[in-house]
Amino acid sequence: MKAINLISIAFGAIAGTYARYLLNLSLLYTGYPIGTVIENLLGSFILGLLTGFFVWKKPKEWIKLGLGVGVCGGFTTYSTFAGDVISLTQHHLFWGAIYVIVSLVGGILLALAGYLCGEAAGGNLVKVHEVK
Amino acid sequence: MSIVSLALGGAAGGICRYLLGLKVTKIVSNPPFPVSMLFVNLLGAFGLGLFYGSYYGKVPSHAYDDSIFLMIGIGFFGAFTTFSTFSVETVQLIREKSYRKMLAYVGISAFGTVGLFTVGLLAGTFLFK
Repeated sequence: MKAINLISIAFGAIAGTYARYLLNLSLLYTGYPIGTVIENLLGSFILGLLTGFFVWKKPKEWIKLGLGVGVCGGFTTYSTFAGDVISLTQHHLFWGAIYVIVSLVGGILLALAGYLCGEAAGGNLVKVHEVK
Repeated sequence: MSIVSLALGGAAGGICRYLLGLKVTKIVSNPPFPVSMLFVNLLGAFGLGLFYGSYYGKVPSHAYDDSIFLMIGIGFFGAFTTFSTFSVETVQLIREKSYRKMLAYVGISAFGTVGLFTVGLLAGTFLFK
């Protein structure tokens, strides 16, 4: 258990959490938990991108943990997803269902898109280096 | 003050997720699907429900000016649970063509977190209010 890994995760999580808070706050006026949907979709894409890219270029462990476990983990959330589903379905069953479908299907598709983009970008980068 | 609450909760949540994830991976060898983040997400959803129930007696709608809400709800449980790893692990199951495992993983994650959140919410309301 390296201290640098934990420090990196802590700072990454603070950055991710704060970004999530700011986005939630700026969308409070809508009256719907749109912030959490955007965070979970965007975070899934970014983690997919990183995972695909790191297949080709292995970073230092603390960088990988800081960005993946820290930033992406702190930016996205499953507990608020569950809370939002319950509070939405109490009043608007329709929006509760839309929220679940968009989060799950969108998150998975965006993670896949991110992974493919990251893998392609990493592969190209490695090839460029080999040519040089 | 809000940034301090968020930072403390967020950092603690992120580190707890990492350490608990490592622990679960060590205990459960050869799991049928990615159990460590599933366990963390289920536990975190239950915890958030318990917090909401015991502190508010319901799901709060406007609590962004409350630093306890920011530290525990947005900070700790928000950072403790993760959606991005869930999505990427699901993609990995799709790429391995393990479609049944994928459906089980997605189903247990979504229904499990919503279910356990509700249990936590009811338990918290019943026990502390």
